[in-house]
Amino acid sequence: MALRQSLGLATRDYFHEWQISVCFVLALAAVLGPMMVLFGLKFGIVGSMIEELREDPAKREIRPVGSGRYDRAWIESLRKRDDVIFIVPRVRSIAATLEVQSDRANRILPLEVIPSAQGDPLLPPGSAAPKGLGEVVLSASAARKLQVSVGDGVDGSLSRRFQGRKERVHLPLTVVGVAPPRSFSRDGLFASVALSEALEDFRDGRAVPALEWEGEAAEGERHYTGFRLYARSIYDVAGLEEGFERSGIEVRTKAADIETVRRMDRTLSAIYWSIAVIGLAGFSLSLGASLWANVDRKRKELSVLRLVGFRTGDIVWFPVVQSLYTAVLGWALACAIYLAAAWSINLMLAPQLEAAQEVCRLLPRHYLIALGLTLGASVLAAVLAGIRAARVEPSEGLREI
Amino acid sequence: MAEQEERKPIYELRDVVKKRASDSYSFSLRVPSLRIFPGEKIALIGESGCGKSTLLDMLAFVLQPTSCEEFVFAAGDEPEDISAAWRRSRRNRLARLRRHHLGYVMQTGGLLPYLTVRENMNLSRRILGMKKDDTVDELAEELGLSRHLGKLPSELSTGERQRVAIGRALAHRPSIVIADEPTASVDPFAAEKIMALFIEMVEQRNITVIVASHAWRHIKQLGLRRLAHHTRRSKDGHAAETVVSG
Repeated sequence: MALRQSLGLATRDYFHEWQISVCFVLALAAVLGPMMVLFGLKFGIVGSMIEELREDPAKREIRPVGSGRYDRAWIESLRKRDDVIFIVPRVRSIAATLEVQSDRANRILPLEVIPSAQGDPLLPPGSAAPKGLGEVVLSASAARKLQVSVGDGVDGSLSRRFQGRKERVHLPLTVVGVAPPRSFSRDGLFASVALSEALEDFRDGRAVPALEWEGEAAEGERHYTGFRLYARSIYDVAGLEEGFERSGIEVRTKAADIETVRRMDRTLSAIYWSIAVIGLAGFSLSLGASLWANVDRKRKELSVLRLVGFRTGDIVWFPVVQSLYTAVLGWALACAIYLAAAWSINLMLAPQLEAAQEVCRLLPRHYLIALGLTLGASVLAAVLAGIRAARVEPSEGLREI
Repeated sequence: MAEQEERKPIYELRDVVKKRASDSYSFSLRVPSLRIFPGEKIALIGESGCGKSTLLDMLAFVLQPTSCEEFVFAAGDEPEDISAAWRRSRRNRLARLRRHHLGYVMQTGGLLPYLTVRENMNLSRRILGMKKDDTVDELAEELGLSRHLGKLPSELSTGERQRVAIGRALAHRPSIVIADEPTASVDPFAAEKIMALFIEMVEQRNITVIVASHAWRHIKQLGLRRLAHHTRRSKDGHAAETVVSG
């Protein structure tokens, strides 16, 4: 009963002395608001860089340097790893080309052949992957130059010198997809592994029965000179790279870029948190000091409450309740300051940004964390003042004028 | 007198001492024996600094005696051993006694600036969880405060504030009201009126009252029992002792 009374009275007092309360709230918002803007900038800038890393599959690619000798079993064993999301074997790059012609464009375009399969990170998720020996996906520039789109047919051709004479074969291909420009910028053709193998076989003078290309019979197990491998996430790249280097396979990755961003994140976080800790400590001290001084100022009123019969425990709540008001109101004002600042920063920098990208950004949980920290610091400060308030002897304050 | 002896005193004090000392001055208040009976009207008269407030604070359980032989308070069903409560630091028990049995009128105000007159007067009732009734309105009527009930204390004159304080001290029907120079800050004419009204109101309600004042002539016609006390000062003026009994 008395506790509820005490809460009610503390509330009345807080709003009665609204000028002083407004000062407390402003003091808090003045510390917390800029801190939220700083964090929003850090989170927004680093966040969008990490987002960029995440969205660009090229950052997750691991490419072997030079040519090696890998068999199918080894490729399969890599495919089973958790940190590998996509892997296909590559044939010799000199054999991985195809000359392509369409009815509409009056030219023959030499295209790089990229082995692909379902789930290729360079192809938009959910789009068709090239299957069998008759389907291909063109890169955006190749499709433009050949003036073809999905569903069109094109003619692929390649030649070899076999048994002393020059041979050229043609194969009809259907365009089942066009890759977005950002995933492959050169003139390229995504083909199934089987088709890329067939092209290599033909050039090596071997027969490809499925396409009725003649030649020597294939012998022994096929070996590949390389592979296309993508890590599951950017955070798996460094580990995979280390594993390859350990087993003597030199690879090229974007691990350094990723590490740069992560290091920047760590550095900015360290800077931010040191500012935040200093700011919050300063705020707690200043709130503690003002609440402490408040107890002196209100000595008489607190004495009156004790004289009327309030217990020690009820009096402690007085500064605690008031500091909670300050915390919540100050936090709300800080949020408003943050939102206004973030809005204008994002608006100012909008021309330099891609759509939906924000330089200054906070997630809902960040607001809650800010509230939690503020409440914690305030209660800590208030409990000290509260204990002091409870120690006010009722007879002490009565005679003051 | 004989009739009073049969009743149980509401306060019974024996050899209660409060000492205060600073670097250059020491003061002590000694109460060899004091008994106050229910319904009595007690006056404590003396110059400021003689220890009136010290005694009142001890009687209101807000000041701990330096030493005491016996200090019993018997307003409730059971007599309370105040000296034991202090010794055991049972402050919440003392707060409870104040809440239920005491009303206190301070020299100035003592009103909470953020509550209206009505809420200030109702404070002692609210903390006891007493039901809303006409008590506050009736008190306000008697004290001439009816039209001020919705105002904040800062809008009132000093005399009006003192009347609010009297209202608050009486609102929860305490057994005892202690008033420390309740009219000292009011002009003499108003002071006499307020004091007369105050005594009349406690008489009607059969409340024991203990009033401190520096001027006997203001209250001698009100029929109060005056506590005997005398103050001795040391020759160098650095020490004073007041002895009160009654």
